[in-house]
This record gives sequence, C-alpha cells and structure tokens, in this order.
Amino acid sequence: MESKKTSLISIVLLTILAILFLTPFIIMIIGSMIKMKIPVGNPFTWIQKDLSLFNFNFIIKNSEYLTWIKNSLVITIIPTALQMFFALVLGYIFSKKQFKGRNLIFWIMMAVIMVPSQILIIPRYIMFNKIGWINSYIPLILPRVWDIMGVFFVKQFMLQLPKELEEAAYIDGANDFHILFGIMAPLSKSVIATVGTFAFITCWNDFLTPLIFTTSKEMYPITVGLASLLTKEGNFGIEMAGAVFSFIPTFLMFLFFQKYFTRGIAFTGIK
Amino acid sequence: MKVNSGCKPDKGKKPPMAEKAKKHLSKYGIVYLFLIPVMVQFIIFYLIPIIFSFVLTFTDWSIVGTPKFNGLSNWKRLFNDAIAWKSIKNTVKFSIYYIVPTMALGLFLAVMIFAQKKKVGTFFKGIFFLPVVTSFVVISGIWKWIFMGSEQGIINQVLTFLGLNTQLFLASSKQALLVLASLSVFKVVGSTMIYYFAGLNGISEEVYEAAKIDGAGKWRIFSRITFPLLTPIHFYVAIVTTIGSFQIFDSAFLLTNGGPNFSTNTIVFYMYKQGFSSLRFGYASVLAYVLFVIILLLSLIQKKVIREDLD
Repeated sequence: MESKKTSLISIVLLTILAILFLTPFIIMIIGSMIKMKIPVGNPFTWIQKDLSLFNFNFIIKNSEYLTWIKNSLVITIIPTALQMFFALVLGYIFSKKQFKGRNLIFWIMMAVIMVPSQILIIPRYIMFNKIGWINSYIPLILPRVWDIMGVFFVKQFMLQLPKELEEAAYIDGANDFHILFGIMAPLSKSVIATVGTFAFITCWNDFLTPLIFTTSKEMYPITVGLASLLTKEGNFGIEMAGAVFSFIPTFLMFLFFQKYFTRGIAFTGIK
Repeated sequence: MKVNSGCKPDKGKKPPMAEKAKKHLSKYGIVYLFLIPVMVQFIIFYLIPIIFSFVLTFTDWSIVGTPKFNGLSNWKRLFNDAIAWKSIKNTVKFSIYYIVPTMALGLFLAVMIFAQKKKVGTFFKGIFFLPVVTSFVVISGIWKWIFMGSEQGIINQVLTFLGLNTQLFLASSKQALLVLASLSVFKVVGSTMIYYFAGLNGISEEVYEAAKIDGAGKWRIFSRITFPLLTPIHFYVAIVTTIGSFQIFDSAFLLTNGGPNFSTNTIVFYMYKQGFSSLRFGYASVLAYVLFVIILLLSLIQKKVIREDLD
C-alpha cells in the first residue's frame, strides 16, 4: 500500500516536470507554424489559430537556410565519420599494440582535455588567417578529425575483450588490419555508435568556433545562421521556424540513438 | 640501417635485415600509418596553439602588422581592468546560480525515475534528456521570447493575465544572469540525471534490503544510505558542471550581449569581445589563460579525488 502511494506521487511529480520541460519545445513548434511577429495572447489560444508552413517557406525563400543546413552537414558528417574511424583505430593501437612511449603519448593527449577549447581559438585563428583558410570548411573540420574522449572510450572497451581473440587470429596468420576490421570493429559497434552520436551533436550544435571562423553568410552553419535571425526586434514565427530546422537533425539523432547517449554519459561518469 | 649497409656491404646480412624490417612493419605498420598523422595533427592543432597562446599574452598584436612584445603589460592590465574582474565575478555568480539547482534537480529526477518500471523510466529519461542534445542557439531562441522583458514576453503575458507585475528579466541587470542560469539548468540537468542514475545503479540491492529489515523509512534510507553512497558522483558532477559553467558563452552572446550594464559579461564572452571585436589578441589570450588556470585547478582536484576514490 505505502509504496503504491509513493509511486503514484512520483509519477505525478515526474509528469508535471516533464510537461514543464516540454513546454519550451511546444512553444517552438507551435510558434513555428503561426504567422505572428510577436507571441500575442496566451500560448493555448495559438493552436486555435490557423497553422501553416508559411514561416518555413518564408525562410527558405528569403534566407540562406538550405545553404546553412548543407554547411552544417558538411562540417558535422566529415568530422563524425573520421572521429569514429580514428577512435576505432587509435583505441586498438593504444589497447592492443605494445611499443615504447605508448602510454606517455596517450596521457599527453589525454591531458589536453583539461585545456579549455577557448584557449586554442585565438592561436588557431591566427594560424588559419595566415594560410588564408578563414571562411572555409577547413578550420571547422581539420582540428576535429579525431577526439581523445572517443579514443579513450574504445581503448577502455577493447581492454576488456579477451586476449585470446587476437592471439588466435595472429596464429592463423591474420595481420592487424584483419583483426581490427574483421574482429574488433564488429564487436565495438555500440561503443563506436556512442562516439558517433556525441561527435554529431557536438559538431552540429557548436556555435563559438563557426562564429569565429566563418565570415560570410554563405559559409555559416545553421547555428550561426539561426543566431543571425535572432535580431533585436525579431519575428517570433520566423525565429521559431528557424529553430525547428536546426532542432530536427539533433532530435532525430536523439530518437534513434538515445541509448548510446545515456551509455556514453554514464561511462564518463563511472570511469 | 642505411649507414650500416653502406659502409659494410655485406650480402649475408641484408636479407635478415630486410626480413626484420618487414616483420617490424607488419607488426607496427598500423601504428606508423595512423598514429603518426594523428600526432602531427595533435602537435599542430593542440600543442603549438597552447604554447603560442602563452607567448601571445606578452605581445600587443591585432592581426595586422607584426606582433610587438610588450612584456607583462597585458597581465598588468588584467589587474587594473574592472570589467575583467566583473567578468570573473559574474562567471562565479553564474556557477553558483546554476550548480546547486542542476545537482538537486538531477538527483531528484534520477531518484524518482529509478523507482519506476524500466519502460516508464526510459520514457521520462528521454524527455529530460532532450534539451541536452538541443543546441544553446535553439534554446536561447526560445528563451528570448519566454523571458522577454517587455509586455510581449510570454511569461510577462501570463503574469499580466494573473494580475501580477511584469518583470524585466533579460533587460534587468539583476535578473539577466539568473535567466541565463535557468537556461543552462534546463539544458544540462538531463545529463546530471544520467550520472546520478548510473550512480544509483551502482548501489547494491543488499544495502537497501538490510536497511529495510532494520525498519528504516524511505526518507531515512535516502538521507542515511543513498545520498552518502553517491558521494563520488556528487563530486564528479560538481566538478564537471563547474567546468562547464565557467565556459558559458553562447547564451550570454545571443540573449544579452554581455549586458545590461555588463551584468552577463562572462569570462569567455569578454575574451571573445577583446579578441574578435577589439582585436586585442594578446589581452584576450590573458583572459583565456585565466580560464585555463581555473579549469586546470578544478580538473586537478577532480583527478585527485577520483583517484583516491578508486584506491
């Protein structure tokens, strides 16, 4: 009896909080479908208004939205794919190969986590500016082709795999590439998926880096593009439609890969 | 190898050498092929910038022209710059506004969800985690309208409807930082919840069983057993959220532009302004190093405590 009552209370509390947490998203979605410069009246009356895709049409026609989405895809998908690949390969190298200086190299790379990314921006800016790569994709891709946290994930994962796996394969004459791509990669699928989901969200949502490295509208990714819409006077409907555009890919990632996110976060929490 | 074979042409020795090299390559080829390019990338994009950034703190440079060394004057400037100190103060204030609610709410959600059936729990976890994957820009875009200081703001409309006074929110130098903190709590609490959830998973059933046999009530079990057993998680979450809070930039840039009256001028925001609006790269690097030192100290505390915890 007692526990049933508390469980009901906890469900009610959770539901109230869940509604509170969803409200901003509901405001965004409904707002995006209403032709309204300023959100007038209480949000519940909005739904009674005519819903339309006017705002979406408007920004596709009147801004570089499609280009921004394309830019975001380029600077997200390339680093994500490479980060997954390098996490796999380097995770293997750092967990399974024995060579001099291996641990030293790994820990120097790991130590850089303690360096806030903001400190790297100015020197990188000067570097890229000197070469003439500002306002291109390169500054948004090249520094991000691998990520030490992803390598760390895979390394820890592979350390748990039994040694017999590779030893048997070595005896059969397999080389590292066979072992890595034939045996290790299929086993590491889920940890690689975790690395990929994190990389995707981080690159897609990044704001400061592209804010600095892109200077013309045609090169903006969607975050900077959306920010350029959030002007002082503003237009509620249009801004919410822009937000929805930026939100959809991350929402889809989240929908399909939720368990990889939670797994990744829990992993960093425990180790 | 080359020197050896060049000085002493020895036919008998060459094949084993080549054999050895081949064997070496087959064993370490993968290391050369992938680790070396990554190390080069690491040196160019991490190590050199870190050092370069430090050198920059002793120069006066605005991208055009040549950098001039000016000794310690950027560092001296920091100590006399009231706005820089205000930005540090604001960032610390922001951390305080943000850390305790994030931890408390994250723990609350985790405990509540932990008590549910798996399917129900996963559903709720999903909802609270949604803001974590959503960008600061999207959430700022929504927050802008919710907390707009004029009568057009969504909350102000609700307040008017209820017959209450409207608030200035983002337009108030007293409230703006709190609004930014609320945005960050909303965005981050889902990951705090997951950390705590993992922590709760790590506590063995037997501990609870024993307590139940002793007749302890729910609250007592929580305050005497669950909460203290989560100490490593409390610590980890506290450090991770603090580090994150010191890097706050996006919402300050998008919603308040550091204002009103510098009340949301945070360290990273000020660094951005000094570097990319005023083109004072030297001074901006000093600010970046201030941030670096703070985060380094926090990370070292974290490393030390976690290590003790593991031992």
